[in-house]
Amino acid sequence: MTSLDPAPNKTWELSLYELQRKPQEVITDSTEIAVSPRSLHSELMCPICLDMLKKTMTTKECLHRFCSDCIVTALRSGNKECPTCRKKLVSKRSLRADPNFDLLISKIYPSREEYEAIQEKVMAKFNQTQSQQALVNSINEGIKLQSQNRPQRFRTKGGGGGGGGGNGNGAANVAAPPAPGAPTAVGRNASNQLHVHDTASNDSNSNTNSIDRENRDPGHSGTSAASAITSASNAAPSSSANSGASTSATRMQVDDASNPPSMRSTPSPVPSNSSSSKPKRAMSVLTSERSEESESDSQMDCRTEGDSNIDTEGEGNGELGINDEIELVFKPHPTEMSADNQLIRALKENCVRYIKTTANATVDHLSKYLAMRLTLDLGADLPEACRVLNFCIYVAPQPQQLVILNGNQTLHQVNDKFWKVNKPMEMYYSWKKT
Amino acid sequence: MAQNISPEQSGAGGGGTKHSDDSMPVKDNHAVSKRLHKELMNLMMANERDISAFPDGENIFKWVGTIAGPRNTVYSGQTYRLSLDFPNSYPYAAPVVKFLTSCFHPNVDLQGAICLDILKDKWSALYDVRTILLSIQSLLGEPNNESPLNAQAAMMWNDQKEYKKYLDAFYEKHKDT
Repeated sequence: MTSLDPAPNKTWELSLYELQRKPQEVITDSTEIAVSPRSLHSELMCPICLDMLKKTMTTKECLHRFCSDCIVTALRSGNKECPTCRKKLVSKRSLRADPNFDLLISKIYPSREEYEAIQEKVMAKFNQTQSQQALVNSINEGIKLQSQNRPQRFRTKGGGGGGGGGNGNGAANVAAPPAPGAPTAVGRNASNQLHVHDTASNDSNSNTNSIDRENRDPGHSGTSAASAITSASNAAPSSSANSGASTSATRMQVDDASNPPSMRSTPSPVPSNSSSSKPKRAMSVLTSERSEESESDSQMDCRTEGDSNIDTEGEGNGELGINDEIELVFKPHPTEMSADNQLIRALKENCVRYIKTTANATVDHLSKYLAMRLTLDLGADLPEACRVLNFCIYVAPQPQQLVILNGNQTLHQVNDKFWKVNKPMEMYYSWKKT
Repeated sequence: MAQNISPEQSGAGGGGTKHSDDSMPVKDNHAVSKRLHKELMNLMMANERDISAFPDGENIFKWVGTIAGPRNTVYSGQTYRLSLDFPNSYPYAAPVVKFLTSCFHPNVDLQGAICLDILKDKWSALYDVRTILLSIQSLLGEPNNESPLNAQAAMMWNDQKEYKKYLDAFYEKHKDT
C-alpha cells in the first residue's frame, strides 16, 4: 500500500474515492468501454455555467477547470478565490489555458453544435412539461388516446383467443399494439412522467396529481428504466441508435399487421416483463383490465425511442439512487456461443463488452441494448440470419456455474443476489433460439 | 409558457435590480435562465428528501423553495418556505433568499431576511439552489450566535428546552403565515 503513504513533507488531501480506488488495468486490445453520458458530463462540465467547457481554463494551483468566460467573470465579480475550493487566485495569471482538454472534448463531441442542439431540445421538452398549460394539454391528450385504444384492445383480445395454448397469450400480447397510436404515445408518455415528478415537487399542483396518475398508461409500469441502457450509448451516437430503435418498432408493427398472432416468427422480446412488473405499482382503474398487458409490451418496444435521460429518471424508483451505477463485463456464453458461432465470428474480439449503466435497468433492457449495439456495430457484416437478435443473459456467481436471468430483474437485484463482490459483474450472453 | 422567457421580460421581473451596480459584469439573460433551467432539471432528478424548489409562476428568476427542519433539532418537523430572487448577474452574485414562513432563529430577522455568509461575501458561483437550501437547513440547527439578527433567539438558544417551548408557542401564533 505504498500509494497510501503520503510524501514526508506534503499532506495530500485525498478524497475517500481516491483513497479507495484501485488503478484500472491498462487496456491493450481493442476492447471498448461504454461510459454513460452522465458520468462523462460531470467531467466535461463547467461548474459555473453547467454547460460543456468552452475554452477551458485551469487554475494553476488547485487544477480546477472552468470556461474561460466563466472564470474571468467570476474573478472580476467576486472574491479572488477558486470558486470550487476557495484557494486564492490573485488574478488571471493564476490560470492557464488548457488546450488539451478542449481537444479532448472536441474528440468526444466532434460537433459541438449538434450537442448544443440536443441540449436545447431536452431543455425545451423539459420546459414544456414545466408549464401548467402543457400539463393540462397532455392530460387531455392522454385521455383521448386511451379512449381510442380501449376498444381496440378488446377486439384483439377476442381475436387472440384463437391463438390457443399457453403461448397464445404471449403472442396476442405483442399482436395487440395500437399501431398508429404507439409512436405518438411514447412522446407523450415521456412528458407525462415528468409531470408526475413535477407535481410531486409543487404542492399547488397536487390536485392534478391524481388525474395524472390515472392518466398514465399501464405501459409505464416497470419499464421506468427502459432508456437507461440506451443512454449508455452516448449523446452523439444516440441519434443513430434512436433511428435503429424506431425502425425496429415499426418492423414490429408491420409484423403484427400481416401475421396472425399464432404464426408469429419473431420472438416476443419481453415475454415476462409486463405481467411480473405489474404488482410493483398500484395502478388505477385501467390496470384492472386483463388485456392491458398487450400495451405494455408494445410500448416497451418503442420506449427506447424517447430515450432522453429525463425519461429514465423521472420515474426512478425511490430507494434506489439515480446515481447508482453498475459495471458489467459481458462475455459470450462459453458453450452456446463458441467460436464457430456465426455471430461470434462476425464480432471477433469485440465480443466482450464493458458496460456501465444505471442499477435500475433490467436484464431485458440489457439484452435489448446488446442487440441494438451489436447490430449497429456490425452493420453490413452481420449475417442475415442474425438480423433479429435476442439474447439470454446469464450471471456467473461462480466460475463454471451460469444462471440464466429473468428479464424483469433489475441489475441491482441481480447484483445483490448473485454477485455481491465489489468488482464489475460478469455476465454472459447467448443467442436465444426461439 | 415558462420556456424561452424573453430577455426584456425576465430582466424587468427578475430580482436583478438590486444587483445592477455597474461593476457587476452581467452575462446575457439567456445564459442565466439556461443555468437556472439546468439547476431545476438537476434538482428534480436528484429527488432530494428534505428540500425542494420550483420557479414561482412563469418567471424563472423567482423561485420558491421549501426546507424541512433538520432532524434532531428544535426545528425538526417544521417545514419552511423560502423565496429566492435571482439577479441578472447570477451565478456571479448570490440570489436574495428570504423566509416566507416566519422563522424564529438567531440568524433570521422577523421579516425573513437571513444572515448567512455564503449568501453575502462568501458567495461562490458554484453554489446553486440546492446547496443554498441545504446550507440554510443546516444553519437552522447550528446558528451563529455571534452575529444575531434576532437577539432574543440568540439569547434563548442556550436553553434548548425553553427554546423549543417558545418555538412551539411561536408557531401556534404564526400558524397562518
